[in-house]
Amino acid sequence: MSAATTDAPRGAPSGALSSGTIGVLLRYGGLFIVDAFALLLIYMLAADGVWELAVFIAIVTIIVNIINLREDLKPLRWISPALALMALFVIYPIIYTVYVAFTNYGDGNFYPKGSLVNQLLEMQFVPDDGVEYDYTAYRNEAGEYALWLTDADGKHFFITVGNAMTPATLPENGELPESYEGYTLLPNSERFRALQDLENIAFGEGENLIGIRSGNAVASKDRYAHDAAADTLTDLQSGVVYTGDDSIGFFVDKTGYEAALAADTAADIQPFLLANERFSRGAGYRILVGLNNFERFFTSPALNGPLLRIFLWTVTFALLSVITTFSVGLLIALLLQANTPGKRFFRTLLIVPYAIPALISVSVWKGMLNDNFGVVSNFLESILNTQIPFFSDPVWAKVGILLINLWLGYPYFMLVCSGALAAIPSDMYEAAKVDGANTWQQFQSLTLPMLLVAVGPLLIASFTYNFNNFVLIEAYNEGGPPIFGTPTPAGHTDILISYAFRLAFGTGRGADYGLASAITIVIFAMVVVVTLFQFRFTGSWEETSKNV
Amino acid sequence: MRNRLFILLLVVAVVLGSISSIFAQDALVVWADDTRTPVILELGAQFEAEFGIAVDVQELGFGDIRDQMKTAAPAGEGPDIIIGAHDWLGELVTNGLLEPMVLEEEFLAKFAPAAIDAFTFDGSLYGLPVTTENVAFVYNPELVETPPTTWDEVKTLSEQIVADGTAQYGFIRQDGDPFHFFPIQTAFGGYVFGRDEAGNYLPDDLGVDSEGSIAALAWFQGMVEDGLQPTGVDYDVMHGLFESGDAAMMITGPWALERIRLSGIPYAVGVIPAGPDGTTSKPFFGAQGFMISAFSEQKELAAAFLTEFVASEEIQVTVTIGEEEVTATPMEIMGTFRPSAFLPALEKSEDPDFPAFAEAGAEALPMPAIPEMSSVWSAWGDAVTLVAQGQASAEEAFTTAAEQIRTLINEG
Repeated sequence: MSAATTDAPRGAPSGALSSGTIGVLLRYGGLFIVDAFALLLIYMLAADGVWELAVFIAIVTIIVNIINLREDLKPLRWISPALALMALFVIYPIIYTVYVAFTNYGDGNFYPKGSLVNQLLEMQFVPDDGVEYDYTAYRNEAGEYALWLTDADGKHFFITVGNAMTPATLPENGELPESYEGYTLLPNSERFRALQDLENIAFGEGENLIGIRSGNAVASKDRYAHDAAADTLTDLQSGVVYTGDDSIGFFVDKTGYEAALAADTAADIQPFLLANERFSRGAGYRILVGLNNFERFFTSPALNGPLLRIFLWTVTFALLSVITTFSVGLLIALLLQANTPGKRFFRTLLIVPYAIPALISVSVWKGMLNDNFGVVSNFLESILNTQIPFFSDPVWAKVGILLINLWLGYPYFMLVCSGALAAIPSDMYEAAKVDGANTWQQFQSLTLPMLLVAVGPLLIASFTYNFNNFVLIEAYNEGGPPIFGTPTPAGHTDILISYAFRLAFGTGRGADYGLASAITIVIFAMVVVVTLFQFRFTGSWEETSKNV
Repeated sequence: MRNRLFILLLVVAVVLGSISSIFAQDALVVWADDTRTPVILELGAQFEAEFGIAVDVQELGFGDIRDQMKTAAPAGEGPDIIIGAHDWLGELVTNGLLEPMVLEEEFLAKFAPAAIDAFTFDGSLYGLPVTTENVAFVYNPELVETPPTTWDEVKTLSEQIVADGTAQYGFIRQDGDPFHFFPIQTAFGGYVFGRDEAGNYLPDDLGVDSEGSIAALAWFQGMVEDGLQPTGVDYDVMHGLFESGDAAMMITGPWALERIRLSGIPYAVGVIPAGPDGTTSKPFFGAQGFMISAFSEQKELAAAFLTEFVASEEIQVTVTIGEEEVTATPMEIMGTFRPSAFLPALEKSEDPDFPAFAEAGAEALPMPAIPEMSSVWSAWGDAVTLVAQGQASAEEAFTTAAEQIRTLINEG
């Protein structure tokens, strides 16, 4: 109860004791629910082998518990849910991305080594002299299964768990016996349910085990033997020994490869990778590759060829987007600030582009701006007597995308500016008028600086948002029209993130998450630099805010 | 304090136990797209009624199935069965996500051999094919009296149609889409990847800059330069023009039949025109089918469900298609919009156009499933777009694209 009394507000009437108790109960109750979910999550993640995340969640949960159980950390209580969520959804992904950037994670090197080895160890093979049997399942009252086997020659056998196979004879009527040695023939209705169990049962004893594979009963053996100390996997079917090569992330037949190298110094390693019907292109695993992904990105002309022009366009695009959306938004806000008739109506109407999902707006604009068939293009063509190629001309494509972004973005700044304008005290304008300032002077020296105090940080947020505005570019024209003659495919309206996306998923032999993460980090660094630069040179609101 | 914490943990453990037992169901989990979900749901209900095993059908966007599979399956949260396209095999098999399927000869013979080929990767079969697809030459018989047999004829006919004012355009094709350009490319003797005797694609033999490929693009450049091919034609514009009678000819697949029929425009499906020396056009062949996750813990059950239920010739399910209630076998229903890969179901299909599509695809090549294909699409499509926009010549465009693709494969 001590907790309850300290919780009660000082000098509170006696009734506060019970409300304090309720508070404690609520707190423990809430904590209980959170812990239950966290434990469940950790349990499931651990069961699936996702240890990193399980440990991370465990740490976050413990911290949340400490914060909520210790009296001296009381001030942190209310923000602890936010902290926990931020750790899970912001900090963990960042840590993970940074980690992936230093690995070769991607198609072909998909699993951690341990997980790959476990998968390989589960694989089975049927030896050359192995026999395939048709099977029929039996079950006894204890729920134990047995199989009636028939081989290709029509010979019959009966096999149970833990006992060797015994020859059996078919009754004279030619049908399988209803019951045999205490086991009963499974009715058809239980056939499928039994399959769930049968898959995991090894029949027979000792070395001669029989299991169900692909609809037949076969004597299969483990395909691989693992020697953890030597880091080798022996293929028991072919006898070849594969060693984990941590420099490339594959299990390799070292002996064979060295022999091949001796014969031909340019021998390809591919044929010597551990491969089977499940990993036909070689069983690869994740390894740490150090700075390799960054090195590739910066040194390979194939990857960074058009990078500089894309970077310049990205900055231009983000800057122009902010300037246009802010100017138009502000202009409309100013117009609506005056006592325009029907102002509410117009304001509502002008917010519409903001309310419609961007993807839908972009698709509509895409159709309207279509070179030959768009409403807007055709209209412009009829006035200007020349076609405006919004999709096939590099410059017009850029104009098109800025127009669409303006359409999507101005309502936001209109709303923000309207609010900020209303907050500027009207006596300041009166004072300005007394000083003889005209409308433009008022706007320039009073409205704009006051507005920037409130809107400045939002402008920077808008810049960083547009810097990575992947959805717009992909939905509008996927970065097109293509630039001719670049070392890698790139488009005139590609921004860094859309270019990086294509590099990471449209190159080499499939997805390359390691490279993608490395590029993301590089882009992040660029955004940070550009943003800091802006903060420094547009520090006006900071000064003003000191006076508030 | 300590006591309370202990009780707390105890209660948590009990709750945990009861919750996790709910999670540990033994239902067969199937990931399907919107067109197959109703069929599998119906089938699953019958399966559960008869054998007491629930079939949990989860509907995902077709493309999402592949992406989600890659993250969910290794984490143990994945499905037992997915539906997907054969060209996913490269990506999925490289990552060890699929279980090879072993089917009996007799049963295999019930499927279109090309579909079985398509689902075979590095010598193993990874899927039970459901539907097949390839593009064909679709034209408006009121605007085109005798369908052209070569691409040169297509151009002459287009010129004539435009000159006579019969329609706004003759033949049109969608921009930046190499899939629909490939049939023209093969008619001129071009290719994308060479193949070995067994039919496997060879990533070292890239044919985007081969003589035939360039010849095909040069033909297309002629169409552009003569003003016969407008820019800005995407899939919807292409269909819009055809369905309003403003364009006479196009290349499209069976997936578009429904919308063409709805438009009421007269149409006919024909063989894709040949090259100047009579080389038959070979469009890409695609197959969709069911695959079993390598992470499934009930692979035997999954395989039995597919072979004995999905591919059953007796079991009937009732599904609403459009506004009609249809009762037929699962394979027949799934073969409504695209030709079935299951021959008994294909034979029963009454679709008037499927035979024509099959004829157009008689020599179709399976779309390469090798992982290297991911390096090809973007550069290849860009090259055709550059020519369509008049920014590069055919030879420049395809030579540059081939260089880009080679660097991407080697350095990516």
